[in-house]
Amino acid sequence: MPHSRFIFRQLTRSGNQAAVFVLCVTLSIVTLVAVNGFGDSISRSLLRDARTLHSGDIILHAHTPLSRPLLDAAADLERSGKAQTVRIYEFYSVVRSGMGDDSLLADIKIAGPAYPFYGRVTLASGRDFQSVLTPGAAVVERPLLDRMGLSVGDPLKVGEATLTIRDVVVHEPDRPVSFLSFGPRVFVAMSDLDKLDLLKRGSRVRHYLLLKTPEGTDLERMADRLRSVAVPGQERVETYRTARSRIKGFFDNFLFFLALIGIFTLLLSGIGIQSALTALLKEKERTIAAVKAMGGTGRFVIGHYIAVVGILGAIGTVLGLVLGFALQWAMPTLFGGLLPDDLPLTLSFRAMLEGLVLGVMAVALFAFLPLHRLREIKPGAVFRKESAGRRRGLPFYLAAAALFLFFTAMVLWQLEDPRIGIWFVLGISGLILLTALAAAAILAGLRRLPLRALAPRQALRGLFRPGNATRATIVTLGAALAVLFSIFLVEKNLDAAFVRSYPADAPNLFFIDIQPDQTAGVSELLGTAPRYYPVIRSRLLSVNDEKIDRERERKRRRDNLARTFNLTYRDYLLDDESMLEGNSLFRDDIDGLQVSVLDTVVDMRPMAIGDRLEFNIQGVPVTAAVSSIRTRTKESIKPFFYFVFPEDSLLKHAPQSIFTAVRVPKDKIGETQNRIADRFPNITAIDVTQAIADFADIVHRLSVVVRFFTLFSLLAGVLIIVSSVLATRFARTQEAVYFKVLGAKSRFVLTVFTLENLIIGLISAALALAISQTGAWIISVRVLDIAYRPYPGASLLMGAATVLLVVAVGLSASLSILKQRPVIFLREQTEE
Amino acid sequence: MTFRSRTVLFITLAVLAVSAAPALSTDPDPPITIVAMGDSLTEGLGVPEERAYPAVLEQNLQKAGYPVKVINAGISGETSAGALSRAEWILRLKPDILILETGANDGFRGVEPEAVKKNIAAIIRILRKRDVVVVLAGMKMVKNLGEDYIQAFEDVYQTLAADFDVIFIPFILEGVAGDPALNRDDGIHPNADGYRKVAAHVQPYVEKAIGRWRGREADG
Amino acid sequence: MTVLEAQNLTKTYAIGDRQIPVLGDVSFSVSAGEFLVVAGASGSGKTTLLTLLSGLDRPTAGSVWIEGTDITHLSEDELAPFRNETMGFVFQSFHLVPSLNALENVMFPAELRKDPDAPKKAASLMERVGLSDRRDNFPHQLSGGEKQRVALCRALINDPRIIFADEPTGNLDSENSAAILKLMLDLREERGATLVMVTHSPEIAATADRTITLTDGRITGEQRHAA
Repeated sequence: MPHSRFIFRQLTRSGNQAAVFVLCVTLSIVTLVAVNGFGDSISRSLLRDARTLHSGDIILHAHTPLSRPLLDAAADLERSGKAQTVRIYEFYSVVRSGMGDDSLLADIKIAGPAYPFYGRVTLASGRDFQSVLTPGAAVVERPLLDRMGLSVGDPLKVGEATLTIRDVVVHEPDRPVSFLSFGPRVFVAMSDLDKLDLLKRGSRVRHYLLLKTPEGTDLERMADRLRSVAVPGQERVETYRTARSRIKGFFDNFLFFLALIGIFTLLLSGIGIQSALTALLKEKERTIAAVKAMGGTGRFVIGHYIAVVGILGAIGTVLGLVLGFALQWAMPTLFGGLLPDDLPLTLSFRAMLEGLVLGVMAVALFAFLPLHRLREIKPGAVFRKESAGRRRGLPFYLAAAALFLFFTAMVLWQLEDPRIGIWFVLGISGLILLTALAAAAILAGLRRLPLRALAPRQALRGLFRPGNATRATIVTLGAALAVLFSIFLVEKNLDAAFVRSYPADAPNLFFIDIQPDQTAGVSELLGTAPRYYPVIRSRLLSVNDEKIDRERERKRRRDNLARTFNLTYRDYLLDDESMLEGNSLFRDDIDGLQVSVLDTVVDMRPMAIGDRLEFNIQGVPVTAAVSSIRTRTKESIKPFFYFVFPEDSLLKHAPQSIFTAVRVPKDKIGETQNRIADRFPNITAIDVTQAIADFADIVHRLSVVVRFFTLFSLLAGVLIIVSSVLATRFARTQEAVYFKVLGAKSRFVLTVFTLENLIIGLISAALALAISQTGAWIISVRVLDIAYRPYPGASLLMGAATVLLVVAVGLSASLSILKQRPVIFLREQTEE
Repeated sequence: MTFRSRTVLFITLAVLAVSAAPALSTDPDPPITIVAMGDSLTEGLGVPEERAYPAVLEQNLQKAGYPVKVINAGISGETSAGALSRAEWILRLKPDILILETGANDGFRGVEPEAVKKNIAAIIRILRKRDVVVVLAGMKMVKNLGEDYIQAFEDVYQTLAADFDVIFIPFILEGVAGDPALNRDDGIHPNADGYRKVAAHVQPYVEKAIGRWRGREADG
Repeated sequence: MTVLEAQNLTKTYAIGDRQIPVLGDVSFSVSAGEFLVVAGASGSGKTTLLTLLSGLDRPTAGSVWIEGTDITHLSEDELAPFRNETMGFVFQSFHLVPSLNALENVMFPAELRKDPDAPKKAASLMERVGLSDRRDNFPHQLSGGEKQRVALCRALINDPRIIFADEPTGNLDSENSAAILKLMLDLREERGATLVMVTHSPEIAATADRTITLTDGRITGEQRHAA
């Protein structure tokens, strides 16, 4: 029979710790619901984008005309109403102006009238694409007009046909984000296909057939059926889900990071839950002892406190769900533009349910230990003033194991990659172990510290007061802060990496195949002197006379030594490079030709200074000794070279082309390309303006999202600080009273407490900084493959803020006793 | 070239080859250095080096008794301008005969045929200054680029062959281009079977070049 | 000479909207070197009286004078020197600082006034009470009797003129009680300090110079004992 008044009393008189507990529960659930909901939205919008990017559900693709069986299979599907189809042909062709005197390589696209199935082709005039693309019409990209000096309405000769330019295409849904397109797009109507007379034997054409299927079609099965009739190796059948896109890979990374933050927040909230509950129940120890002394059974006590925890947990959960719900609803507003505006707002109930289940599980798991300890309270505690000792029995280890398993499962489930998940769990376990060991070592050292002045000595003594959980507090705080700092540092580094990759002056126009004697002319035409990178194509033949096994190398998943390498020569390091081995690029003590290699090469095959590399440089065998090993920050889109030779060497005479990248104002790009192409027709220009702008924009918005979710972790961290400081309030108040009774002034008491909190804050912050710097470095360099910067200023600021917070919260918890007469506390101690 | 004249040429070459064979056995050095200079079609994109046409050609010529060394100096993606820029460099290999195959990548990028012509002409001049016997491989462009362009492009090689009196292979991918069985999945680059055919197609022109080189050596 | 004087001390606790009177109009004075026992039944207000006299609590009305100073309205910080140097406390439940070992507890008040002889004085006091071998032990490692002896030393280290003791033997068995009491009286005797002790033990009361008996917050009896 539950004693409702008892439960009510315990609820109403639990104060701060109860609030912290509720907030922690709320936080864990809000985070889970929000992160999962956000992930859901992103995934849905990504899939939709992927479909738009391919403009169809299933894509058949070949460099040769599609085979009869495949076309028949597709036609069957269409006849039976299982799919709609549209044919697309893409190829390059040299188009001419109406007079025939100007010509340009263009990327021709001929699509059936059903195109596009998803997304839409936007024209400069705003008219409907298919209504403009009538027989005899051409719709072109702006650069074509710029470079040929044409305008809308002019004739354009494509193949054997003379078409009329009817409009300018602004956006094409399935124009892949490709750095390599050799010419501007020209759309031609399907009915003009034969008139062009460009599709015949000896033509090189990309043939596509897109299928659009009704909602609910088993795409994989349909694709498999089509695959079974396709010519292997020649015809590819893909669904929009399987077709890989760079953007998707990027979002996967991002969602991974978001999931990490979610887990971290859950972990932090869990720690907060446990720490708040421990403190809360510790304050109730005497009440519990009294209840037991009055004959309350252990079951009565635990049962009732489970009810208390359950009610507090329920309040937190409801609050969390409401906030999570609100957050999901506000998401499109918060992250305006990141999610497509027309994405139907469906609240992810799956995310809410998941959040609920996980949140409740986390509460249950983290609450178990503090609740279990209630059993150890003896009725005698009513009389004795010291609290019951903490023995670590089987239940402790069971609870710890359960928590560990829960988190491992969580991580594996959220990260969807067992290998990374296991590393992550091991990392976190190691982190906590490391924090514990370091805290123990530091405390042991402090204990031996001989101090003469009373206040600091007293502060130090305070850390070791019996039954005091200084070490536990430091470990909790240290680990929590380490996680928080790590998120902060990684996020900051990610952000900086993106900013560095796409600075405002990032190059947007690339010129390749510049000949050595053309650089002066190119500089003149560009009006600036950009950095020119000589490129000498070559192959690596052998390392220390051991031939490169081309077959084996090619089987490697990533980069391999069998491919063609671009060599260069120069005597200086690039801005994003640094030395890994050796002090300078080249050495004086090596005779003959030397070469500096990038660490990426060493990853492919171990190499050391002095090793002999034999290259085939444009048909001429050349041997060089390794003089140094370089590394580079890999996030920038700057050009880089695996092998660098001295400026003044044989390489200078090797056949080479020159590469440069410049930034040109957007409206000047066409003009610049023209000027270069007119004078140096061999130079190819690649315009990446739009691709970079789109990408940079997305990256910027994502970093806002990450910051937003990091806020949750931050909040959890603050709650942990509040809770762990509150947990020691009882002991501190007691000491403050004793000090006062013995004649200490408030300044002394304040000094002692400030110092004590300062020590706790400093140790925790120092541990957290040390660990987070290491952890963030590992994540940045090893996982995310970006350069790492320690941000010492910001780190110190975080540390200082932590210390300040710990001291302030600590003091605020004991300030009240300073102005009051000590008896109030003494009476609580002796009477009641 | 008519069938008859080709046959006559073949016989002449065969005789020459036979007559050269004994010389090989007594004086193996120096072999004739043939450099195959070109783009991915020469380099053999996607096939092992020993399956690309220069290696196959070397085997075939050696089997026929010619003391030759064929060096593959092909570079994928190279344009005629690129080839021009390394013409001097290639001379380091001290070629006796050079098979020049370039321009396909210019075509794929829509480079003005006139520019291609100028580049190739410059290359030939450099080579001739060093008395290298030049075999020029003609190139046909893919049909989708448009008839005018294709025609202008093919004319480049015809004109060059006439202007410089080089040994001229009208189209190096004769009988190979466009045949899925002889090309890789990309439809452009020959596979091993394709290269066998290319090597066989190129061989008589090279044999003619060997003859020319020997004649020159005899004169000198 | 009067060292301590209570004038019309009244203390009322507010519990909810009820006013519970605990002490009503208590006046008396204590002379230097006197041993005063405040006796009375449980709940008679004797501990409350002691906390008012020692400045650990504030009276609702009336005033407390220590050596001619009215301490009633002093701030906590103004009271600190009185607590440190003029008074010493011994509590029923010891109230030792848990983070300090026995010696440190004893030294603490002396260290607060920056007495350079604090360690020496503490050591000799500890020796006096027979705890030399327990000096490095922490409170939780000490028995009740030992704790109280440490508390006694702590109360005496600054040679206070008044010692307040609140049921000092209340938590001890009879053997320890007797020993503590004897020590306390002996030490007081040696130092000539004033001792104000709250107890309901008639045996202890019998050894005092004077006993004040409280009943329901009022002085209902005063008894002088023969020296």
